[in-house]
Amino acid sequence: MKRTYLGEFEEIVLLTVAVLHESAYGVAITDELDRQTGRSVSISAVHAALHRLEEKGMLKSAMGEATAERGGRRKRLFTVTALGSRALHDIRAMRDQLWSSISPNALPAISI
Amino acid sequence: MKNSRNAGPPRLADRLLEFFCAPHLLEEVQGDLHERYVRDVTRMGIAKAKRTYTYNVLSFLRPFALKRRSSEYPPIPLFSVDMLRNYIKIAWRNLANNKAFSFINIVGLSLGMVCSLIIYLWVQDERKYDKFHANGDRLYRVIVNSIEKTGEISNSFENSPGVLSGILKKEIPEISHAATITWENKDRMRVGTKATNEKGRIVGADFFEMFSFPLLKGNPRTIFAAPNSLVISQRLANKYFGFADPIGKLIRLNEKDDYVVSGVFATVPANSSIKFDYVRSFESFAKNNPWIVDGWSDFGPSTVVMLRSDASLEKVNAKIRRFLTQHDKTVTDKTLSLQPYRDQYLYSRFENGIPVGGRIEYVRLFSVVALFVLLIACINFVNLATARSVKRAKEIGIRKVVGAAKAYLVGQFMGESLLMTLIAASLSILLSFLLLPTFNSITGKTIEIPLDTPAFVGKLTILVTITTLLSGIYPALFLSSFNPVNVLKGSFSTKPGIATFRKGLVVFQFTLSLALIIGALVVYQQMNYIQTKNIGLSRENVLYIKLEGELGKKYESFKQTVLQSNTIEHITTINTIPTDVGNATSDLIWTTKKPTDKFSIWLMGASYDFAKTLNIKLKEGRSFSPAFRTDTAGFLLNEVAAERMHLKNPIGQPIDLWGKKGTVIGLMKNFHMQSLHRTIEPLIVYFEPQPRGNIVARIQAGKTQQALLILQKAHKEINPAYPFSYEFADDAFRQQYKSETIIRELATCFAVLAILISCLGLFGLAAFTAEQRTKEIGVRKVLGASVSSIITLLSTDFLKLVLLAIVIASPIAWWIMDKWLQDFAYKTELSWWIFALSGLLAVGIALLTVSFQSVKAALTNPVKSLRSE
Repeated sequence: MKRTYLGEFEEIVLLTVAVLHESAYGVAITDELDRQTGRSVSISAVHAALHRLEEKGMLKSAMGEATAERGGRRKRLFTVTALGSRALHDIRAMRDQLWSSISPNALPAISI
Repeated sequence: MKNSRNAGPPRLADRLLEFFCAPHLLEEVQGDLHERYVRDVTRMGIAKAKRTYTYNVLSFLRPFALKRRSSEYPPIPLFSVDMLRNYIKIAWRNLANNKAFSFINIVGLSLGMVCSLIIYLWVQDERKYDKFHANGDRLYRVIVNSIEKTGEISNSFENSPGVLSGILKKEIPEISHAATITWENKDRMRVGTKATNEKGRIVGADFFEMFSFPLLKGNPRTIFAAPNSLVISQRLANKYFGFADPIGKLIRLNEKDDYVVSGVFATVPANSSIKFDYVRSFESFAKNNPWIVDGWSDFGPSTVVMLRSDASLEKVNAKIRRFLTQHDKTVTDKTLSLQPYRDQYLYSRFENGIPVGGRIEYVRLFSVVALFVLLIACINFVNLATARSVKRAKEIGIRKVVGAAKAYLVGQFMGESLLMTLIAASLSILLSFLLLPTFNSITGKTIEIPLDTPAFVGKLTILVTITTLLSGIYPALFLSSFNPVNVLKGSFSTKPGIATFRKGLVVFQFTLSLALIIGALVVYQQMNYIQTKNIGLSRENVLYIKLEGELGKKYESFKQTVLQSNTIEHITTINTIPTDVGNATSDLIWTTKKPTDKFSIWLMGASYDFAKTLNIKLKEGRSFSPAFRTDTAGFLLNEVAAERMHLKNPIGQPIDLWGKKGTVIGLMKNFHMQSLHRTIEPLIVYFEPQPRGNIVARIQAGKTQQALLILQKAHKEINPAYPFSYEFADDAFRQQYKSETIIRELATCFAVLAILISCLGLFGLAAFTAEQRTKEIGVRKVLGASVSSIITLLSTDFLKLVLLAIVIASPIAWWIMDKWLQDFAYKTELSWWIFALSGLLAVGIALLTVSFQSVKAALTNPVKSLRSE
């Protein structure tokens, strides 16, 4: 099976794009990342990741509407492609498989 | 309400982003950043939000944001043959269609380049002086510094005790070679019937081992071994002996002593600061003339030393500092230091013992001036190109519409200025060839254009590149930035800012030109001041005849003969040139002398009628007179000397000069016995019973021709072996200011060139304005404007600029010229009329230039100019 390589940050960004569904663009993704993971990342880092993902064919994009606060500039809206979706699913399946293979006492318990 | 300008994201950061971010990403990136900024403002206030924004922008400096997407169209090669052909064709048409403007540009540029070229060659030549010695980095000349009581160094000179070189070499281990070099001597040489006067020097034995004056014949170590050895130049050898081997041949010197030629050296290169056609041994000279090596407080010849290659200059300097005092306890006011030999030519002015200036100042000054003249020429190009941009706007518009990018247009216009510069450069080389002989005769050099050396061709390329860039870059950027939509719609007009820029450049040009004119005028005035100043002795109708051969012994009969003729007023002998005294001592003894009274006093030896001949005024006492037998042991002092010796009543005071005891018989009013660069220093005149040096004769006014004939006849009778040669005191005096004369000539040339080039530019601009305003002038004339009002209208704009330039240039020029005049102890005043005159001159020339065009425009028949409406 051909492996798709996704960095950890790329994976999270890809997931966030999926979370935001049809309104995923730079600032929104940054905010969502902050809210969901508590990671405060710079916009440029998100843009860079989006750019890479698009190059890998896991995201596709189209220009969206403009708003006043953007000074009349349009957003670039991202959606996950079939390849992106496949990659996410692969990763998840692999993780699940790994989790299910861990014997119950192998990990030290974390008490809450 | 928030101020929208201040509330927005920081402009600078935004600009930066727009500059570096790839165009296809810019919209989304900038949009996102702005959106985030709006949120940040509400969260953390404007100031912090702005900082964050800037930080965010900077964080986008990542490869993905910088990388441009490749164009979807195939790239157009910058230099396709077709386009190049087109560029050249258009450039040529532009040149040919606007002959006047092309002429102004090319002539201006080539004059500017001629200036730079010649000055570059001159500077190179100056810098090459004394640089050809293989041991150059180890050669130093000894500088003697006079220390005042305050510990300051008041005076530095190269005249050193004759005994110094031998002892320095013996006692300082770091000094491997040392040689005394005397001043230039003129000696009579004779081989058989052939006799000429030749210039030479007396030098120490190490001379040829230290300096790279290559010996063609003879061994440098033993060349002076035999007494009465003479080393002559290739030129002299050829002159006297032709192709025969000169070694061992005899030459009779001064009709007295026979010398044996022991070596031949290659003719001394032009860029050596010491020039000579023969050298004799200082050591054997000193044997017959012990006075020259007698004592540590007489300063005459110069001393040059060569250090070992591992020696440290600081250590040697420290060792020799007190060298004179160590050898003679009475010499407490002099210290020694070393100056690199190769610096001596350019750095001859000392301040506090440190070489600070000299010719190097002129070298620097003229380099700057040459650059300025070139700049003025480049400004012409810039001004004319931008002024005439409207004419080319359509071409630029069309080119852009059919796909020319800005870079291609910049290339095209730079190419055009390169073409112009190349034409100008070839013209300037041609002009330089024509002008160099004149330049050489002014500066006394033998400069050639080394077109065959790669170094010069390289420099020429650099010059062309610099000129092209200076003149082409602004017009190219300006022209290529036209907006094709505006241009082709016909609503095109250049911004008023451009016109202001042009005016600024014109002001700059005229400021430079005016500064040069003022400079030239001040130099003129100072030279005039020097040449007409009452220096305390009169130079008119005075001539010098060198005392040589029999003349010294038979001076009395010569004197009687010429005085009888009634054409000579007075006659005397002086052992130096009275306006250029070069020997000093600090050995003077007088009765009231205190141990602290230590100073150098300049020496002059003279005979009867000394003061009368030179018209030197006596304050008290009398000059040497045959009526008083004791006057042969008399001394004359100048006022400064009496003051420094603290003598209230100097007359009758006993004085001891090197054991020669006598009394002061006269107190002379101060006169300038040295260049006007220096203040008047103490001087003592002693009686020289055996005349040496020069006969000084004052001719009766208006009888110069007769007197010269009488002198010649008497000379021939008494001194038949020598040709009669003389020099007028005036000429000798002028000779002392040779470098200032050169500066004057050059400054004048530059000033004329600068104003000429500036006016060429002004002429072009005026022509252009008149052309542009043809219709306006037509309408004005139809409505009744007079010719004079139109001329005023067209001229005032330009005159304002020139007036502004006067205001700017005057203080700058005043400051610079004031500094220049500081070099002279006696100087003219910077009077207001110089500035007024140069201002008037500039206004006059500018007016003349402009009015030619404005008169032409004003006289045009309005029917012609308005016909097409």
